[in-house]
Amino acid sequence: MFVLPPPPRYPVGGYPGAQPGQLIETNNSITHPAGPEYQLVVGEGTYVLRDDLHLATPPPHPSEAPTHNPNPLATTLSPPTCGTKLSLVALAPRQPSQSQLHRFGTRTSTRSPLPPSIQESPHETNSQASDVGSHGANGIASSPLDGLRTPVFGEGNAALAAVNGKDTKDALKRRKPKSNIVKSNSSFVSRVIPHETLTKRLQDHNPNGLYAFANVNRAFQWLDLTSPTKEEHLTKILFTKAHALCHDINQITKGPNHLDIIMGFSTGDMIWYEPMSQKYARINKNGVINATAVCDIRWLPNSENLFLAAHMDGSLIVYDKEKEDAVFVPEEAVSAMEDGISEGEKKVQSLLTIKKSVNSKNQKMNPVSYWQVSRSKVSAFEFSPDRRHLAVVSEDGSFRIIDFLNEKLRHHFMSYYGGMMCVCWSPDGRYIVTGGQDDLVSIWSLEDSMLVARCQGHNSWVTAVQFDPWRCDERNYRIGSVGEDCRLLLWDFSVGMLHRPRAASVRQRGSIASSNLKMQRTQTGSSVNRLRSNSNLTSGSTLDEEEVVHPVEPRARTAMLPPVLAKSVHESPLCWLGFEEDCILTSCKNGHIRTWDRPKEGSSNDDSSTHASNL
Amino acid sequence: MSSFFSRIKSGAPPLSPATGSIPVKKDPHAPEATPLEKLLVNAGPLRSDGSDKFFGFENVSAAAYCNSIVQCLYYSVPFREQVINFPARSPPEALERPASSPLKLNTNLPNDQHAALSPTGRTSLSSPNGKAPAKPVTTPGATNPPGTKAEDNKDSPEYKKKQALAAGPVLQMDYENANAYGMNESLFSSLKDIFEAVIAHRSRIGVVSPHKLLEILRRDNEMFRTPMHQDAHEFLNLLLNEVVENVEQFSKTRLTDADPKEMNGTTITSGEMVPVQNSAASTKSNAGWVHGLFEGTLTSETRCLTCENTSHRDEAFLDLSVDLEQHSSVTSCLRKFSEEEMLCERNKFHCDNCGGLQEAEKRMKIKRLPKILALHLKRFKYTEDLQRLQKLFHRVVYPFYLRLFNTTDDAEDPDRLYELYAVVVHIGGGPYHGHYVSIIKTQDRGWLLFDDEMVEPVDKAYVRNFFGGEGVLACAYVLFYQETTEEAMMQEQEADALAAAEQAAKMTQEAVTTPKPNGANGHAFHAFHNATTPTIEEADKFASLDHAATAPPLAHTESNTDHAVEHTTTNVPVLAARKSNMGLFAKVKEDREHKAQQKELEKAARQKRKEMETQRRENYRKQEEELRLALEASKASAAEEHQRRLASGETATPPLPPPVGAGGGDHKLANGFGSVKGMSGLSRFRHTSMSLRAKPKFWSKDKDDGGSEDQSPAATTTTAGTGDEVPDAKNRFSIGRKKSTFKF
Repeated sequence: MFVLPPPPRYPVGGYPGAQPGQLIETNNSITHPAGPEYQLVVGEGTYVLRDDLHLATPPPHPSEAPTHNPNPLATTLSPPTCGTKLSLVALAPRQPSQSQLHRFGTRTSTRSPLPPSIQESPHETNSQASDVGSHGANGIASSPLDGLRTPVFGEGNAALAAVNGKDTKDALKRRKPKSNIVKSNSSFVSRVIPHETLTKRLQDHNPNGLYAFANVNRAFQWLDLTSPTKEEHLTKILFTKAHALCHDINQITKGPNHLDIIMGFSTGDMIWYEPMSQKYARINKNGVINATAVCDIRWLPNSENLFLAAHMDGSLIVYDKEKEDAVFVPEEAVSAMEDGISEGEKKVQSLLTIKKSVNSKNQKMNPVSYWQVSRSKVSAFEFSPDRRHLAVVSEDGSFRIIDFLNEKLRHHFMSYYGGMMCVCWSPDGRYIVTGGQDDLVSIWSLEDSMLVARCQGHNSWVTAVQFDPWRCDERNYRIGSVGEDCRLLLWDFSVGMLHRPRAASVRQRGSIASSNLKMQRTQTGSSVNRLRSNSNLTSGSTLDEEEVVHPVEPRARTAMLPPVLAKSVHESPLCWLGFEEDCILTSCKNGHIRTWDRPKEGSSNDDSSTHASNL
Repeated sequence: MSSFFSRIKSGAPPLSPATGSIPVKKDPHAPEATPLEKLLVNAGPLRSDGSDKFFGFENVSAAAYCNSIVQCLYYSVPFREQVINFPARSPPEALERPASSPLKLNTNLPNDQHAALSPTGRTSLSSPNGKAPAKPVTTPGATNPPGTKAEDNKDSPEYKKKQALAAGPVLQMDYENANAYGMNESLFSSLKDIFEAVIAHRSRIGVVSPHKLLEILRRDNEMFRTPMHQDAHEFLNLLLNEVVENVEQFSKTRLTDADPKEMNGTTITSGEMVPVQNSAASTKSNAGWVHGLFEGTLTSETRCLTCENTSHRDEAFLDLSVDLEQHSSVTSCLRKFSEEEMLCERNKFHCDNCGGLQEAEKRMKIKRLPKILALHLKRFKYTEDLQRLQKLFHRVVYPFYLRLFNTTDDAEDPDRLYELYAVVVHIGGGPYHGHYVSIIKTQDRGWLLFDDEMVEPVDKAYVRNFFGGEGVLACAYVLFYQETTEEAMMQEQEADALAAAEQAAKMTQEAVTTPKPNGANGHAFHAFHNATTPTIEEADKFASLDHAATAPPLAHTESNTDHAVEHTTTNVPVLAARKSNMGLFAKVKEDREHKAQQKELEKAARQKRKEMETQRRENYRKQEEELRLALEASKASAAEEHQRRLASGETATPPLPPPVGAGGGDHKLANGFGSVKGMSGLSRFRHTSMSLRAKPKFWSKDKDDGGSEDQSPAATTTTAGTGDEVPDAKNRFSIGRKKSTFKF
C-alpha cells in the first residue's frame, strides 16, 4: 500500500483543463471545417457545414474584478447566463415559405374538422420567417376557431388605444429611441465598436440577406450573414456588467433604415435598440418594475410598441417601448372577483395571476400588463401563429397555453419530469413542441389539448426546439432540437401516425393462448383506457373549458418517436437552433455559430420514402 | 415511548427559549450569527423526530466521506425514523449521552464563554489525525495576501468550521449504547447512537464527533483503516450492507432463540427491555426496512442469439452505479445502463437451452423501483495507460425530479416520480485525494450545505453547481433521489412560490420603504424577512408562530405589498386611476358591449371545442368498449384453451411465448440460475452494488452465514463470482463488482 501525503483539499486553479480568463479583446474568427463528420445525412439529402463562426468572448470589464472564486463550494451565486442566441432578420419582404413546401398540394386533412392549414406565419420561431407582405394575402388573420379577425392585444382598452393612436400618427417615419449609444456615458454600456466601413457595408447589404444579432457574454454583436466578411461584426456593443440573455427583432417595423430590437438582460434591464441610427432607450431601468433577470423577450405580434418579457421570478410583463417606467404595484383584479368563482377556478387563477390587466385604465406608464404565471423561472415562451395564444414553459416543469388577448389560462400541462426549457409552435398552429430536463421533446396538440407523442433521443437536456417550416406541410412536420448533449436531432412526425397506441411489448402473463397481436393490444389497450377514464374522472367530468389542468401522461400510454437524425454538431452544449430557407443554424455556449447548408436540389431523394421508412 | 415524549414535552418549554433564540451578542468581537443561526431564529419548539437538528460532523482523521454519507442518511426521513425506532424506540434514560455535563453548560452560556470553554472541549478530540486534513487547506494566495492563514479569512470554510467547533456543542460519540438496544456493537448501533444523541440534544446546531462509528468501521474493514482518501460511495454501500446485516442478524436471534441468556446480557444495562421482547415478532416483520427503502430489483434479460431463448435473472440492488459520458444527463446514463449489450468473444454466455457458450444479448432493467434511489456516478475510472484511477470531470446534468425510463414492462408503478434530496459532492482533481461535502434538502429548511463541521443554508440553484465539466473540481458523485408524488411536488412548488412571494414582497418593500423617513417599523419587518426568507421552501409546513401571524398563503403577498403601499407617499396608481375615471363612464358601456360580443364569440368557440371534445371522448369510449369486448373474448378463449389443456392431461408444451409467472416461473428461475453460472465468471456486477444477499465474501468476513436466505442460488453464484476477483483486489478500489474497468 502506498500512502500519499494529504493533498490540498481545495486545489487551486492549476487544473489542466481550466482555461485562464482571457484578458484582451479579440476578433471573431471563421473556419470552414470539412469532412464526413461535418455532414448531416437525412432522408432528403445531406446537409453540409458551410462555416463555423466563432464569436470572440469579450474580456471581463475592468471594473469587474475577475470573479474567479477558488473555493469550489462558494455559495455566492453567479448571475444567470446563457450561451449565444441569435435573432435573424431579412429586410426584404420574403416569399411566403409555403411555396417551398413539399407536397403542398394535398389539402386533405384526414382527421381534423378544422379548416385546413393556416398558412405559414411570419411570426413564429425566433422571427426568422419574416414576411410582412404576406399577412393579408395569406389570410393569417383568420383564426382556426371562429374565423374572425384577430383582435389586437388590449384592443378594448381605450386608455391603451389613446396612447397607441398618438404614436401611429406619423406612420411613415418610425420613432427612434432617444439616446445615442455610441456617445452614451451610461454606466450600463461600456463601449460600442462600430465597423470602420459600417455605412458602406450597410449599403452593400443584399436586402434578401440575413442580418443576425447575437449575444456572447457581455457583448452584443450585429452581423451580416451574407457578407463575404461575415466574421467582421457591423457593430459590437459591450455592456459593463449585464449580459443580454435574449433579444428579438420587430418584424412589423423593420425597414431599410430601421430595425427595432429589444434585449433583455441578466440584471432585469431591457434595452430598445435601433442599430441603424445607433440609438437606444432603457426600460425597466435598474429593475424598477421587476428586478429579476429577463429570460425571454418577444415583440407582441403585430404590435409596434408592445413587447412581452419573461422574468426569472415567473412573471410575464408587457411593456411599451415608448413609455416611462413606474414602480409597479399590483392592481386588484376586480373583474375576476365580480362573479362568484368556484374552487377550481381559483386554482386555475392561481396558475395565472393577473397583477395588472391590459384592461387597466392606468396606462400612462409601464408596465402595460403584468401576469404571474409561475413562481419559478419562465424558461421560454412563444406566440401562436394565429396570434391568440401564448405558450409558456417554466423551470417548474409546467407548460401553459394562455389566451393572452383575454388573459385567460387555457391549458396547464406538466413535463414528464423536471423543468421545461424551450417551446415552439408548428407553423399552422396546431401543434406545440416543448423540450426539457426529461431529455424529451414532447409534441402537444392544441385542438385535442393533449400530449400526442414524446420524442426520445437526446442524451441530455433539450435546450432549443424548432419546427422547420420549409419541411412542414399540413400532414407532415419536421422538428429540430438541440441540447446539452451537443447534438442536433431531427424528427419527422405526421398526423397519420399520431395517436397510434404504442407498440407495446408487454410480456404476457398467465396463459393467454392465442399469440396474435390483437390480444396483446387488447391488454395494453385496456389498461390504457382504464387510466384514461380515471384521469377523466379526476380532472373534470364536465366537458367544459374548466378542464384546464392536465395530469401527466404515463409513459405506457404515449407514443414514442425516434429521431431521423442524431448527430453531435458542436464541442460544447448547444443553446439555439434556427431554420432558414437555405440552411440550418446552430449555436453553442462557447459562441460558435455553425451554418449547415441544405441539400442541393439535385441530390434530394424522394422524401416520401423517407417518411415511409421513418414512420 | 410515552415516557420519552412526555419528557420532551415537559422539558421543552423551559429549554426552547434558550436554544430556539440565539442570544443577541453585544460583544463586537463575538462572531456574527452564522447564516444557519439566522435561519433558525424563529424555529419554535424542538421536535422529537430530529428534523430540526442541523449538526455538522467533525472531520475526524479525514473521514469526510463518512460525514457526507451519514448526513445524507440522517436527512432521509424514513431512514432516520427506522434507525430510531428499530428495534424499538429506546427510552432516553436508558441511553448514555455524550459527555453531558460540560456540554449542557455550554449550550446555555453566551457565546463568548463558549469560546473560553471550547478549547478544553476540543483538546479531547483525537486531534493528531483530525487536525491534519485541515492544515494544508490554505485557500489560494489569490484571495489571501501571503502570510495570512486561510483560517483568518472569515469567509473561508476553514474559519467557519473552526467557529462551528468552537461554538459547539460538540457531541463526542465515543461511547456505545449497543447493549441498551439489545444488539451487538456494530455500525448500525453506532449510527443509531449518533442519531439518538443528535435528536435528544437540546441544541439545534452543533458538531458531532463520530469516533465510535469510525472506530468500528476501521476495526472491521481493513480498507478504511488507512488515513487515505476513501470513496464515499464505497462507504455508503458498506454502511447500508452492514446495517442490513446487523438488523437482520438481530431480528434473527430475536426470533429464533429468545432464550434468557441473551436477554440477561441486555437487561443488565436497563430494565426497559420489555418492549423489545414483546415486539420480537414485530421486529422480525420490520427487519427488512433497509431493503424496503433502498432496495430495488434489477432484471437482466439475456437472449441467446443461437436459440433465441431469453432468460431472466433478478438481482437486488441498494444503489445503482452508472457510467458517465461527456455532456450527458442522469436520465441518459440510466438509459445507457439498460441498453442492450452483446456478450461475445471472451464474454460469451452459457446458455442452458443449447448447452454451451453462445453469443447473447443482454440488458438490465429495473423491475422493482426502490423508494430511495441512490445513484452513484462513476467518476473514478481506471485508465489503462496510466495504470491508475482517474477522475472524470464530465459534465453530467441532474434534474430535481426524475422518473426511470429503464423499467421492465411489468414493473409496478413504472412512472414513479423521484425528487432529488441529497447530493454528495467530491472536490478534487483525482480519486486519491480530495474532499466530500453533501448538499441536502431538509424537511422544512430548504437546501443546506454540510461541509464537515460547517452547516450552511444555500439557494436551490446552488444544487446545480455540481454538474461537473472541464476544470470544475467539485462535481456530484452520489445522488439521492427519493420517491415522491405529483401532489407533493405541486405543494412544494407552491411553498416555493410563497417563499418567493415573500422575498418579492421584501424587495418591493425595500424599494418602497427607502424614501420613508422613520423606517423603524419597516426595519423590524425587514429583519424578520432577512432572517427567514432566503431558503425556506416549505415555510407553510413549519408551525412557527411568526409565520402563523402572516397566515393565508396567497393573501400574504398582497397584504405585505399593500402594507407597503399604504406607507408610500407617491401613490401613483390611485391618482392616475382617478384621472382616467373622467372618461370612464362613457366607456364602460362600450366596454360592456364589447365584452358581450366577445363572450358570444367565446361561447361559440367553446361550443365548438366542446363538441370536438365530446367527439374525441366518444371515440375513446368506443375504443374502450371494443377493447373490453376483445378482452372478454380473449378471456373466454383462454379459458377454453385451459379447459382443452386440462383435458389433454397437460402433456402439451406451453404455448409459444413462454409466460412468466405461474407454472413458467420455476422453469424460468432454473433457467436464470443456469445462466448465472456463465455470467458470474464474467463479473457482470459492474452495474450495481449488491445488497446483502449477493454480497461478496470480501466484505462480509466470517459473518456471512446467511444460509437461510431465500434467494440462495443468486447469492452463492455471486459470491463465487466475486471470489474470482478477490485475487486482483490488491488495490483498494478493486471491489470488482463496481470498478469493472479493472477487468477489461
